Amino acid sequence: MTEKTVTPTVNSAGYDVPPELRQSVAITTLDKIWNMGRRYSVWPMMFGLACCAIEMICTAASRYDLARFGMEVMRPSPRQSDLMIVSGTVTKKMIPQIVRLYNQMPEPKYVMAMGACASGGGPFKEGYNVVSGVDQYIPVDVYVPGCPPTPQALLHGLMKLQEKIDRESITKVRWYQKDEIPAIPVPILGPDIIDPRDNAAIREMASRKAAPAAPAAQPETAEAPAA
Amino acid sequence: MYGIGILKGLWVTLVHFVETFTEDFRWIGKKRYYSEEGVAARRSKDAKGIFTVQYPEEKLPVPEEFRFIPFLVYEVDEEGNKHDRCTSCGICAKVCPPQCIWIVRTEDPVTKRPVPEPVDFFIDVDICMNCGYCAEYCPFDAIKMDHDYELASYDRHAEHIYNKEKLSKPVEYYASIRPANYTREEAIKAAEEAKKAEAAAAKAAAAAATAQASGGEQAAS
Repeated sequence: MTEKTVTPTVNSAGYDVPPELRQSVAITTLDKIWNMGRRYSVWPMMFGLACCAIEMICTAASRYDLARFGMEVMRPSPRQSDLMIVSGTVTKKMIPQIVRLYNQMPEPKYVMAMGACASGGGPFKEGYNVVSGVDQYIPVDVYVPGCPPTPQALLHGLMKLQEKIDRESITKVRWYQKDEIPAIPVPILGPDIIDPRDNAAIREMASRKAAPAAPAAQPETAEAPAA
Repeated sequence: MYGIGILKGLWVTLVHFVETFTEDFRWIGKKRYYSEEGVAARRSKDAKGIFTVQYPEEKLPVPEEFRFIPFLVYEVDEEGNKHDRCTSCGICAKVCPPQCIWIVRTEDPVTKRPVPEPVDFFIDVDICMNCGYCAEYCPFDAIKMDHDYELASYDRHAEHIYNKEKLSKPVEYYASIRPANYTREEAIKAAEEAKKAEAAAAKAAAAAATAQASGGEQAAS
């Protein structure tokens, strides 16, 4: 038996198997086998926001074929999907729906920011109607640069996500912990988008702004009885 | 009758499926997968059967004018020192539509005159929209568009703001990814230099002639 025929597989747990048993025994850890099952069944959610979605559709079609990675099942429902590919410009009008969809996805869930607009706002980063980076509202796992990323760049991002899944441990990931994971508060669409997480800061700012107005009003009331 | 269209579609799929295997038989002995000729055959108009590009193992060749994130070109002189072509003039930062370029300029500590090479050069690759204006406008051919698209990462702020070290690539790399552009630019540069040398020579000759003439006049008077 040469060294080449017993190359350690992906699932080797790092234990030494005696040479006479190598053809018949495989040792793995629960983490590795669990992660292998999950990495080859990442179901993306079927939605697209802008031009990046065209590249995403191309990636799913037969030339590049997402099915080779077990990701061909694009689910139209967030309840059945594991991966949210935010493919395109996220407008302020759209972010409440994105956050709501993210909250509706069951754990484990991953988010991929595809393209410049989703990652950092892209050319619209200082625009009046575009969120400059979806990571300000939901946690992003993989950022794929490009405008738009080519199908192969997107596939590289998906492989990066698989690598990330490989490194996870059942005992450590947040969705198998005892304490409940709070839902992300849905931003409110207004004149400018309002993030409910900033409510305390907004209230404090409002009270600070209101505070100088009160002493200014006092002299008038004080003068009134004198007159 | 209903369902004819579905059957026709399924027939097309079946033909593709069968042809994948008949093509495999025809390619016995040659490499149909994971080889350049295999990819070229599968993306040609006569391709039969499967035409999927098995991405991580084989990649579609990108055209020369394909552009992704920009990079900085540097040259290495005989002593092995790196010299940026960039003079930190800031034209790229000015024309960049999404404003994703930051240049840190410097000045000589003794003479207080600006040093042409930038201290640092940042490009936020998550903002860059691959338009190529920076490469188009650069008067020194110092910034060019790269072909590398495998840039996905887990952290935007730690890994996706490229500094000068990450952006700098040798001029040989540029010549390898864009050979036609490189030879054209070098030819233009050589022609300009020849023209300059010619003009300088003509000027020198004219100066010598006038000096001789005035010298002759002085001698005559």
